[in-house]
Amino acid sequence: MKIFKSFIAVALAFSFFATAAVAGATPPQNVFFSWYRLALELVRHTATYTPPVASRSFAYMSIAAFEATASGPSTLQSLSGQLQSLPPAPKRQAGKTYNEAVILQATMQTIVENLFSNTGPTGHHAMDAFSKKIETEVTQEVKSDVVKRSETYGRSVANTIVKWAMKDGGAVIQNMGFPATYTLTKGPAHWVPTNTIDLQQNPLLPNWGKNRSFAMPNGATCQLAPPPEYSEDKNSEFYKQALEVVEIKKNLTPEQKAIAKFWSDDAMLTVTPPGHWISIAMQILERQNADMDKTADVLARLSIAEADAFIGCWNGKFQYDLVRPITYIKRVMDPKWEPLLNTPPFPEYPSGHSTQSAAAALVLTQAFGENFAFTDETGTKDGLKPRNFKSFAGAAEEAGISRLYGGIHYRAAIENGLAQGRCIGAFATALKTRK
Amino acid sequence: MRNFILASLLLSSAAVAAEPTPTIPTFAEETKTAGINSTYKGEWVYMVGGGVATFDCNGDGFADMLLSGGTKKAKFYRNTSPQGGKLKFKAETSGLELDKVIGTYPLDIDSDGIMDLVLLRIGENIVMRGLGNCKFERANEAWAFDGGDAWSTSFAAIWEKGSTWPTLAIGNYIDRAQEISPWGSCTDNWLHRPANKKFAPPLALKPSFCALSMLFTDWNKSGTPSLRVSNDREYYEGGQEQLWHIDAGRPPALYTEAEGWKPLKIWGMGIASTDLDGDGYPEYFLTSMADHKLQTLAAAPAATFKDIAFAKGVTVHRPTTGTDLRPSTGWHAQFEDVNNDGLQDLFVAKGNVDKMPDFAAKDPNNLLLQGADGKFTDVASQAGVASTFTSRGAAVVDFNNDGLLDLVVVNRNDKAQLWRNTSTNLGHWLQLKLQQPTVNRDGIGSWIEVKQGDKIMRREITSGGGHASGENGWWHFGLGVSTQTQVRVVWPDGTAGEWQNVFDDKFYILERDKPAKLWLLK
Repeated sequence: MKIFKSFIAVALAFSFFATAAVAGATPPQNVFFSWYRLALELVRHTATYTPPVASRSFAYMSIAAFEATASGPSTLQSLSGQLQSLPPAPKRQAGKTYNEAVILQATMQTIVENLFSNTGPTGHHAMDAFSKKIETEVTQEVKSDVVKRSETYGRSVANTIVKWAMKDGGAVIQNMGFPATYTLTKGPAHWVPTNTIDLQQNPLLPNWGKNRSFAMPNGATCQLAPPPEYSEDKNSEFYKQALEVVEIKKNLTPEQKAIAKFWSDDAMLTVTPPGHWISIAMQILERQNADMDKTADVLARLSIAEADAFIGCWNGKFQYDLVRPITYIKRVMDPKWEPLLNTPPFPEYPSGHSTQSAAAALVLTQAFGENFAFTDETGTKDGLKPRNFKSFAGAAEEAGISRLYGGIHYRAAIENGLAQGRCIGAFATALKTRK
Repeated sequence: MRNFILASLLLSSAAVAAEPTPTIPTFAEETKTAGINSTYKGEWVYMVGGGVATFDCNGDGFADMLLSGGTKKAKFYRNTSPQGGKLKFKAETSGLELDKVIGTYPLDIDSDGIMDLVLLRIGENIVMRGLGNCKFERANEAWAFDGGDAWSTSFAAIWEKGSTWPTLAIGNYIDRAQEISPWGSCTDNWLHRPANKKFAPPLALKPSFCALSMLFTDWNKSGTPSLRVSNDREYYEGGQEQLWHIDAGRPPALYTEAEGWKPLKIWGMGIASTDLDGDGYPEYFLTSMADHKLQTLAAAPAATFKDIAFAKGVTVHRPTTGTDLRPSTGWHAQFEDVNNDGLQDLFVAKGNVDKMPDFAAKDPNNLLLQGADGKFTDVASQAGVASTFTSRGAAVVDFNNDGLLDLVVVNRNDKAQLWRNTSTNLGHWLQLKLQQPTVNRDGIGSWIEVKQGDKIMRREITSGGGHASGENGWWHFGLGVSTQTQVRVVWPDGTAGEWQNVFDDKFYILERDKPAKLWLLK
């Protein structure tokens, strides 16, 4: 089984190109995969790429690739008219020859460079070197007029998507996502800063839930049941759920610790939660040698579901603005209590990982089937052992409960987050992607 | 001719106690008039580094300096400043004028009483033997030093117990050949241990996580310094900050969670240390992007540190002046008492990595004064040192031997800057130099203790840390008001010298087993 190590995979992809190019036909999905792998690296090395921001970029990348492919000789049907205000892709010139790999290369280069324009010097250095390498490979033995036409078309599709993306409310991230000013909601039930990082004294992206959504109508579409009413009464449901967090931390098994760390997916240190599910999908698509249509279909639906999940989840987070376990437990139960994981700097309810994992699982179940067993090697390069799952739904449930083991969520945020994710994911699975 | 004019002036100056509102020192930039014209230049592989070494290479008691040049040749400047006067330097050919120099640290490697230098480079690192009168020659072959071929970015040195030759730790960055996917390509750091008055082949410090600063420091007062390594999380996978056991005769070993070490993952770029709270244990300031860290020992003897940056007001996560309020990027950091009030202050060099739009492009350096309550306030702008060039390495050093600390800062793709401390209302001071008879002559690994009444200020004498920059010369203490002052040295072998009375506003040589010797300008 292949180790999911990005740089190794990139190298493998290049060696594949070398062979394929001689035959004059680089499979476009190889181009797509290569750019996605680079994007997974850039996500962990670009300062604004918190999970909501990552989900947005994955969505635009995948939609750009999907639309570029759907415009040609494929089984895919455009998503224009199905996603919120997505314009039609530019039309190809009738009777003219195009090369799908060259189109994909131009599309992905343009959109990735745009979405990650704020990455550091090494990211730019890598993008330049990477692009030149792929460009050389895909254009070998392709007629120059076809290359030029294909590149022009690929860029035009990407530019259409970029223009659309600029108006969604999430295009500009300032101060690494933390507003310079913010008024905390008064009262013990509400979120307060949970660490002493100065930048994080205001919560992450408080307006993200107002962003334009993709497949679902808007961020408030999949409303959550409210969390248990805040209380410090020992007989209250709220207290009991907080006590459960304490008790679980006290008795964590090695397996539970491993689960918490496996799904931790910290921003800036990993591919983030949406990147984790992209990684799962890519591992499976690679093992199945999936063609471009299947690849584009799966990654578009998945990315759309996750981006919508973060919008819906954030809508709920700032609607309820609930206090984190670390704050409540220290104040009410044990001043010295510490969770296993670092508490993310934004309100508790619902659990983002739960919402987006359930949405992702719904999409992948649709694509690969119920009870699809798989091994996830996403964290191997960070020293995490692969984990085996019997189904996508089972993986999503484990991702959700990992936040309870980690001490950063109460049970209600997980269970209701999973339910919200299933509601949101259904909009992605309902998309008509094939002609 | 130097003018010895200041001691009496300073004695009569308004002495400053540890007041709630610290006295803000004033600085005047004298880069041009001092004759400094040096730029640290270069693109991708020079995005980190750009350091300065300050040291006395001609025995006149004044700090000379070497400035890294990146793609350009490093520049050596002999200090010709008059005591207490305007700063003056003369560029000279010293043998140190090499290209691809990222960082530079002074260290008397062969203990001959003449300063040597370690040059961290893109490619081969080079040790330069001091020949006297500020001339140097390559000594890699003579000292069996394997300079390797890497992107070397950090340095620290110590004499291990019983050793007559130093151990050098050199931190390396990413594999510069990995252009397409450099992430996860951190190359091995090296430990150059002694072997028969030369260096043994370097030992790889595995795992290595792209070290941008290293420091041998006796964090637990055990008598055996450990190696702190600050790593850049931008490039490592599965990495974190590190603390190594470096015990003589034993292989290096990382401190573990079982020993109390807690994982910390930051864009580590520089280490500064000092005993801020007077408990005898050093605190560590770690530069990064956005929030910086100030760590204090939480539960000795466990190697557990807690972050007190927020409480002390030193997160310095964004510019405190100007209109560009995007998050900051910190590099060299150094604790010194710049207003001579007896409280350690903190200088932090700031500068965007390279056109990163999420971080301040005009990122002024910080000069953080410590108040009597232990909290810090940035006064860089009022003091006149809030440069918005893209700063990297630096040194806070008394260049004109007037007891007031001056400042030199290396800027990437721009001129280095030099400031003279022109304050006239600061407190008293003391400057000390250590001397051992044969081995480790500068007493690296010692602790200097300065006592005023019940208060004891402690300073660990280290070689390394900061960002690509090192100092070796007079060790400065601010004294505040004039009182009876005593000093002693706890030497690297743990032997504590006698307390000795000293006068304020003087220079002393503290030679082992001898009375403190007053140093006067020749």
